[in-house]
Amino acid sequence: MNRTVTLAQGAGGRQTSELIDRIFKAHFANPFLTADDAAVLPPPVGKMAMTTDSFIVSPFLFPGGDIGKLAVCGTVNDLACMGAKPLYLSCAFVIEEGFSLESLERIAVSMAETAKKAGVFIVAGDTKVAGRGQADGVFITTTGVGQVQDGVRLAGNLAAPGDAILVTGDIGRHGCTILLARDDFGLEAEVTSDCAPLWQLTEAALKKTKEIHVIRDATRGGVGTVLYEIAAESGVGISLKSEAVPVLPEVDGVCRMLGLEPLYLACEGRLVVITPKENAEAILEVLHRTEEGKHAARIGEVTGEHPGRVVLETRIGAKTFLPEPGGELLPRIC
Amino acid sequence: MNEMHAREWIESYKGPRVRIMEVCGTHTHEIFKLGIRNILPEAVTLISGPGCPVCVTPCGFLDEAIWLAEEKAVTICTFGDLVRVPGSRMSLADLRSKGHRVKIVYSPMDAVDYAKAHPEEEVVFLSVGFETTTPAACLAVSLAKESGIGNFSLLTANKTMPKAYEALKESADVFLYPGHVNAVAGTRVCEDLVRDGISGVVAGFRAEELLRALAVALLGFLKGRPFFANCYPGVVKKEGNREAQELVDRLMTVCDGEWRGLGRISDSGLTLRESWKDFDARKRFDMPKIVGHNHPACRCGEVLQGSCRPVDCPLFGGACAPSHPVGACMVSGEGACSAYYQYGGFQI
Repeated sequence: MNRTVTLAQGAGGRQTSELIDRIFKAHFANPFLTADDAAVLPPPVGKMAMTTDSFIVSPFLFPGGDIGKLAVCGTVNDLACMGAKPLYLSCAFVIEEGFSLESLERIAVSMAETAKKAGVFIVAGDTKVAGRGQADGVFITTTGVGQVQDGVRLAGNLAAPGDAILVTGDIGRHGCTILLARDDFGLEAEVTSDCAPLWQLTEAALKKTKEIHVIRDATRGGVGTVLYEIAAESGVGISLKSEAVPVLPEVDGVCRMLGLEPLYLACEGRLVVITPKENAEAILEVLHRTEEGKHAARIGEVTGEHPGRVVLETRIGAKTFLPEPGGELLPRIC
Repeated sequence: MNEMHAREWIESYKGPRVRIMEVCGTHTHEIFKLGIRNILPEAVTLISGPGCPVCVTPCGFLDEAIWLAEEKAVTICTFGDLVRVPGSRMSLADLRSKGHRVKIVYSPMDAVDYAKAHPEEEVVFLSVGFETTTPAACLAVSLAKESGIGNFSLLTANKTMPKAYEALKESADVFLYPGHVNAVAGTRVCEDLVRDGISGVVAGFRAEELLRALAVALLGFLKGRPFFANCYPGVVKKEGNREAQELVDRLMTVCDGEWRGLGRISDSGLTLRESWKDFDARKRFDMPKIVGHNHPACRCGEVLQGSCRPVDCPLFGGACAPSHPVGACMVSGEGACSAYYQYGGFQI
């Protein structure tokens, strides 16, 4: 077999089958994944959640993960945010002609490992090859189905004044890692992506109490964007204590140099959890016992003041608005 | 004076009214971000001065860049913030959407690298910035010459701060000098300004550094005589960065500077010396004199002098917002209008 992906491997014939067998079936193997046109699955019990997401990350390999891990985590975590145990995933690949087979296999291995960790089966897939220049390396779309846990009701419009706001770990690491990996700024720092599947952590919290109002994963746009979304959807104000927000010193340093706000850097393994404040400590205790949640922190509360806005209590004790999200991430020039 | 002492001191200030002008965009941003304006007593007014390189870049400069792209088919390399600043007819973003090549770079050297990789294109870097940014542009030109890269030049709008302080003398009682600029330029020039009756304090960028500098500014003001203090001594030395100063001096010479809002200030600009004219886009492409025309209702100019608050401009928040800026101060995240828009309106 050639060392890079060819257009012929996307044409649907024998070479396509070889590619699928060698790269995908070899690593994704499970009882539901067959050569047939669709997966036949036992349905979830009770309510079902379904979501889909596309992933185009450059570079596709970065410290702490790769596009494959990201594609599984992104969809699994979206299900987790609805209180749904992830059951099945499908994945569709668009691969640029000339992409290295070794890299493709590495991505498949990473997807398989992450799926296993998340407890989800990859049950269907598709492979297309785009001509050189028509795609950038590899694009992956994953769709996931999960089973909503009994008695759980989570939504962005359920945050209420008096609720506590938790974040499940230090923020901004994924965004910072990608910025550094692109090497546009000539900066180096020891930062790895936080990319991780979060169902186990979510399940642990929901087992402690079902009285959680909102769970959101702080992906593109970061924690700041998620909080603004929740403030708008619930018609509430959000008050953050800036010193309580966990940020690695390395991430903080990069942000200071480039003039970026860590609250707006992407995470791929962090949830924002909003719960009545009497549950906050118990949930934190549970989160701290999980691998992904050991640096979870209480960062603020939901209020009735300044509806639709996020107010920061700054490190000097003054209050100010967190600027609203929007625009490109641009480093400052002076 | 530690952070909390400084804060208490500022909050308990009972002296006469005082106007403190921060002349650095990063200061403006940090002051808003930390909520410092919200703890100031009524007698203390902070004015955001002309310290954001994007904000002070005149409209005509963008018109010049657009002329180069349209008439001479050059590739424009620029810092990202400049892309959305309106020129007289259009912005660089509009120019790009018409199919012209406008590349965002993060340092002047990126533009040299691009020129090297695209020898068939003429590459012009939009060289804006103060004492902090100019050495990097000079280094890029110097390295381009050494490497024999003949398709790279600068469109200069580089500026130096001291003459601006003199021009703004009546707008502020104390200047908060930009720590990054002084790190390169040193403090001698600020010390000399005391003789002209200009007071100022060099400030760093962290909360404790800013609070300390503000407290020192108030203390100094109360004494009633012009003064200078360096509140960023770990980074800012009297001599500054000699290597950077010598590099700039080797390549560039003083000229009049055109400042958006402040107009022409004698000896406040820098341009390439005659011996480097091959790298000067205006000479290389025989550019005619181009005069820009600002939006008639935009009050950026007065905002930059501290004589008008952003919220007092009729365009603020409506016709002019970060998503569709009319004036340069609304474009850069460090511009006064943008900072007011993003953080403003906060009442405890």
